[in-house]
Amino acid sequence: MTARSAERWLVVACLCALAALALMTWQIFDPTVWPVMIAMSLGQVLGTASFAAFAYVVFADFRARRRTAKESRRAEPQ
Amino acid sequence: MTIANSPLAVVELACAALSAVILVGYLFVRPPLLRATKLALLLGLGVFPIGAAFAGNVHGFEETKERKFCGSCHTMVLHAADSDDRTSRALASEHARNAMFGGENCYTCHADYGMFGTVVTKAGGLRHVWLYLTEYRNTSLEEDKKRIHLRDPSQMNANCMRCHSTEDTLWLKVPDHVASLDDTRAGRMGCASAGCHGLAHPFWALDAGAKP
Repeated sequence: MTARSAERWLVVACLCALAALALMTWQIFDPTVWPVMIAMSLGQVLGTASFAAFAYVVFADFRARRRTAKESRRAEPQ
Repeated sequence: MTIANSPLAVVELACAALSAVILVGYLFVRPPLLRATKLALLLGLGVFPIGAAFAGNVHGFEETKERKFCGSCHTMVLHAADSDDRTSRALASEHARNAMFGGENCYTCHADYGMFGTVVTKAGGLRHVWLYLTEYRNTSLEEDKKRIHLRDPSQMNANCMRCHSTEDTLWLKVPDHVASLDDTRAGRMGCASAGCHGLAHPFWALDAGAKP
């Protein structure tokens, strides 16, 4: 994963999380059927998706760093 | 329940605000993915939103017990209005004036109190949402009066008996109670029926002859 691609994923994750937070906050101010239902369904899905995207970026970054470290160790003279 | 007297709502708002500050900050600054950025994003995308979701869900779940919530579908507007009416003599309204029921009188009388009662009740609520979307979304109240009825009326006595145990000596001194004791306990004769304590929502049944 390139740095640009990681940033794109994180931007999408941030926007999803902000949307999820807005939906979850809406139900506090208007506790009627639809806001509560939407917060507990769409809000949860968006929030979970944003965290999953973040976890994916961190995992991909960790793997890339480990690969780079391995390669640099291999390249060192014995 | 207002925001000020609900600690969960305050926690939810605080978590959401902290998370939003971090996320908006990231979107504006776009720092490189260093350890500090990851840590900040872990808080902004993980810890605080999870806290907000947890507090929000519990708060939302509690809100689903409120009459305001039940009355927010057009089919239940008359029921909620009757419970809000301090002068109404309907059984539901009289219970709404009791502090033990108060704003949660719909839930208190219609909940399932079995082992998984709350979950079962809320699952039943999802059934109501489905019926609302598929059948009642555009119906008039007059049409609704002819169709909406209790799915299991025999269950209602069990909920009455949570408070009115049918074992109290004063209660057992009433000849009608003694005569109908077995039927009442078995749910064959409704406490909230025309011959006994009156219908819980008389305006609903009397107008259109719907099932109580």
